[in-house]
Amino acid sequence: MKLSFVFITTLFLSHGLQAQLVDDMDDESRLYAENKQVNQFFRRFNGEEDEKGERYYPKDKQYRSERLRRKYIGILFDASNSGIAQDLKVQFAKDVLNKDKPVILNFHGGNWFSEVHTTFVMNGKDVPVTLFMELEKHHQGTRWVIGKVYADIFKASFDRDTVKVGKFLHPLSHELDFMNLRKAFSNADSVGQFTLKKFVPDHLSVFLYEVKKGNLKFRTVNEVKFHFFQIDGWYFEVSQFNRSGYNTGWLISNLVKVKNESEKNLLRKYVYYETK
Amino acid sequence: MNMLNYKSISSLLIVLAIASFASAQNADISPARKQAIDSLALEKVRDLSKYISIIGNKKTPFSEATRVMDRAEELFAPDSEMGVSSLNRKEINYYKVRKYFERLMALNYDRVTISWYDIHYISDLERQPDGRYVGVVTIYQRFEGESDDGLKYKDTTKKDITIYVERKKTQIQGRTIEFWDVLLGDIRVSETSA
Repeated sequence: MKLSFVFITTLFLSHGLQAQLVDDMDDESRLYAENKQVNQFFRRFNGEEDEKGERYYPKDKQYRSERLRRKYIGILFDASNSGIAQDLKVQFAKDVLNKDKPVILNFHGGNWFSEVHTTFVMNGKDVPVTLFMELEKHHQGTRWVIGKVYADIFKASFDRDTVKVGKFLHPLSHELDFMNLRKAFSNADSVGQFTLKKFVPDHLSVFLYEVKKGNLKFRTVNEVKFHFFQIDGWYFEVSQFNRSGYNTGWLISNLVKVKNESEKNLLRKYVYYETK
Repeated sequence: MNMLNYKSISSLLIVLAIASFASAQNADISPARKQAIDSLALEKVRDLSKYISIIGNKKTPFSEATRVMDRAEELFAPDSEMGVSSLNRKEINYYKVRKYFERLMALNYDRVTISWYDIHYISDLERQPDGRYVGVVTIYQRFEGESDDGLKYKDTTKKDITIYVERKKTQIQGRTIEFWDVLLGDIRVSETSA
């Protein structure tokens, strides 16, 4: 991409000498180009730092300047992802860099969250659990909290066929003090058939219960990514790319133009693995 | 190349410099103060880098390495951990800071060279619920190990270092002086493809 070429060339020029000096330590320009922290993704997106990562402040001429932001926005995408069409990126950049109404990402602005793939141990076996983390104000500052959880191990417990007739408690069960509940609970696999059709399982509650009971023990974090719903008309995903070259670190790995809030909500549900 | 060659400024001087423009009432961090805190944080990170190089160096006598480990531990907030992953192994392995240093010292190479890239990246400071500020400093380390039998290993690791920034008070000649202090916290160590 033209923009990223210009930026990388700039980096080469400013750090080329150092790169020669470091000899076997590869060239540092690659490390300068990398979006090293999510914080740097924010700052580059917003045009709040120079190419070496030194912060600009509101009094600085370059701070959030359209020119600076235009230089950065091209290198914020995963260039290897052909799934994001070039014209979509251009439309996005046009919207974000709009002179009359520039769009700035706000760390505390909400509508962005993290998807954290973890491994827990249950009954001696590794099980994947996805935590959806969000920032929340608390006392004097903010903190990351678990907003939602998704785990395949829980999903199986909630799977049910709502189309077929299946098992049921007949409509006069109440006259018998629901004595037929004994039959309903005799088979653990079919107990879900006795719940409301519109019942939506909440994995977070089950997760907390299992952790508190000591049945689920944390082992490790495997992968982290971020979902941004903060910009009107757009959704994008940010993932970490640890690879050779200059297009590395935290990059936009998915970009979707959304028509309205309802489409955004659908996308949100999809990200959360919610079917209803 | 070596970030340890930077002119060393004593932490106390920086602390006092920060104290000179620390406002007693205002909890917000001004750009000038942020820059001073960044300097203090970098000073601590450089101290840590220096200590890691000494601990990893096979020529460092055991007693000296132990003393340096003690000093290095003093840079950290209690319960700090290192979370380590490699290119082949994405999952994070967790070590207490002391354990990490001990493992580094015990690595089975005859010669170890640890060097640091000039580059560093300092995040914004964010306020935690308890009023302290937290930031992350990213640095890159080059490790090279070699055994007498010719076995060579080298890697580059990215170290994302948590820094806790806290306003403290001290008495100097009867006057109460407020200052900002920096402690290191958890460190995420990930191998990079550099």
